[in-house]
Amino acid sequence: MCATMVSAALAEETTIKFWFWADNDAYAQTMQEMIADFNATNGKGITVVGEQYPWDGGGYSGNLLTAAIGGGGPDVATFKLTATPSFVGNDLLTPLDEYINNWEDKDQINENLYNTMRTAGGEDAIYVMPWNTQVLYVYYRPSMFEAAGVTVPTTYEEFLDVCAKLTRDTDGDGKTDVYGFGMRGSNGGQEPWGCFLYAGGGDWEHLDSEGGIKGMQDYIDLYTNGYAPETAPNDGFAQVIDNFKSGLTAMTIHHIGSSAQMMELFGDDVAAFVFPAGEGQWTSMGDTETVMFESCANKEAAFEWMAYLATGKGQETWCTVTGNVPVAARVQELEQFQSNPFMKVSIEGSPVAGILPVLDTTTEWISNWPSVIQQALLGQITAEECMKTLQETLWAE
Amino acid sequence: MEIHRKRRRGSGIWPYLLLAPALIIMLSVVIVPIINAISMSFQSYNLTRPKKIGFIGLDNYAKLINDSLFWKSLLRTLIWVFFGVGCQFVFGFMLALLLNKSFKGRGVVRAVSLIPWVTPGVLIALMWSWMFDGNYGVINDVLLRLHIISDKVAFLAKPASAMPSVIITIVWQGIPFFALMILAGLQGIPGDLYEAADIDGATGLKKLFYVTIPSLRNTIFVTTMLRIIWVANSVDVIFNMTEGGPAYATQTLSVYVYKKASSLDMGYASAMAIMLMLVLLVAAIPYLHNTFRDQEG
Repeated sequence: MCATMVSAALAEETTIKFWFWADNDAYAQTMQEMIADFNATNGKGITVVGEQYPWDGGGYSGNLLTAAIGGGGPDVATFKLTATPSFVGNDLLTPLDEYINNWEDKDQINENLYNTMRTAGGEDAIYVMPWNTQVLYVYYRPSMFEAAGVTVPTTYEEFLDVCAKLTRDTDGDGKTDVYGFGMRGSNGGQEPWGCFLYAGGGDWEHLDSEGGIKGMQDYIDLYTNGYAPETAPNDGFAQVIDNFKSGLTAMTIHHIGSSAQMMELFGDDVAAFVFPAGEGQWTSMGDTETVMFESCANKEAAFEWMAYLATGKGQETWCTVTGNVPVAARVQELEQFQSNPFMKVSIEGSPVAGILPVLDTTTEWISNWPSVIQQALLGQITAEECMKTLQETLWAE
Repeated sequence: MEIHRKRRRGSGIWPYLLLAPALIIMLSVVIVPIINAISMSFQSYNLTRPKKIGFIGLDNYAKLINDSLFWKSLLRTLIWVFFGVGCQFVFGFMLALLLNKSFKGRGVVRAVSLIPWVTPGVLIALMWSWMFDGNYGVINDVLLRLHIISDKVAFLAKPASAMPSVIITIVWQGIPFFALMILAGLQGIPGDLYEAADIDGATGLKKLFYVTIPSLRNTIFVTTMLRIIWVANSVDVIFNMTEGGPAYATQTLSVYVYKKASSLDMGYASAMAIMLMLVLLVAAIPYLHNTFRDQEG
């Protein structure tokens, strides 16, 4: 692994400080086991010290930036692509091109993924090492589809229709017991919302286009027509998942990371489909990468660890436990990934999966997104006003 | 003579040496950050645009004056503090009067009543957000069973109910602080005063207004002022319950500052923080004035 890059510096004991976030305790435990495995097997005297920090709805990136600027950051950290401009702008990250070009596993990762990483930095250099991805898709309950007499939608219009039909009063008390769609109006909701934006005919560059406004209006209508829980404006990740798990909603959007708990709870009564195409089609590629900091004293050793995560045993272990989509071709071909139906839907959705524009306004735009969307859902502003505000703030000078 | 001079020199330096650690800590954790914040408030200091960092004079303050969200957040801060601290005081006072009476198990009740105050704000916010939850919350369940409501209410998802919900939470958290401080004050009131009032034929209510409350004047004043400052600066409860939503309905100034700082716009966040500090000084000055006046007296 990257044998040619290993310098004499590796002959000595080296410690690499590594920051990561984990979605739950089991994942955190897995990461510590991977670190222990790497430390025991790398044979080059490299000791990785893993420090876990909360994702905190994206607050992780800000904390990492503050720590790095203040001189207390790590050598290597897990990372989100959207944070790249802030870090590159502050000259905090090490360009990885030289390491990657001399790396024997370079071709294990698709060239398109490298190009996405290259674009994110705003310069012609790769600052971010691919690690794993999660493609958003629609979870649904087949038994609820059957009870409502509907089938998996193949178009956006059908999807909207299915949302209405799945919304039912099951006990005849005049109150809704099952909502068609679990809407996420709070933190992080911009990613599933992007599916509606594109299906309506808009895109990230033209949020306030006619199509974008239509997508927003459809989103508002789902809420005001009562096809999503009344709590939707305030619902974040925990709420939409709990609502789906409790049977309050028949469909919701998330990635493969939730599949294990869904299958444990519902057995065969949970399945998934790619958000269907309307005027356009898009779904969010939740990405997780690793970065190396300029302050790292032993960059060759740091890259050894990053390579272990990207294409080595760390890739297989992490993706097996978390269910995330591997980036290494060799790992993608393993039986456990090929036979997983949710992985299949993830791979099916990959061609239309993308990320939000990586701009220096993106962080603030994501932070403001819930408030603006909530205003629209609650009827304080129109779909047009909402999209105009979102367009102006994302593409501000 | 020589010895006397040395002693004088020694005693001249000694107090400063003793004060030095406290002064150094004060300088490094209070004064320097304040100066830094003031300096940043005059800069375009957005970490997502590091190449544009630089002094811009009063631009952040000019932007702030034209920012309707700032003024709405300030108004919400006043509502949040008025009802939050006001209710804490009333209920805290009532609890203190109750805990001042002799009854069986008073020690246990006193200890238990402190639980909200010693519980971390984040935990309180999570606990109450589940209680207020529009789908599974216990508050909805109780209100439905009592036939007070006919359908579940999305307390935290509706602008009209979100602010009262977070205020109820902060009131619950702050009652023990008032109770504790007022209880300490109550125990310091000489029994003679009540005896004299009894002889004069004062009723319970008259004793409350003419003996108890005047005797607690300083305690009430100091406690209220401290709590006004703390509640105005509080972020944890609101942020963890609603993140300032829905549609800015619970966004106070401190939450707005926090959100701006989280999105790395440190310059604008600092300008707002300075304004919040000035607003709080208006409340704090009477407190300082009162404290020093008593000391001088």
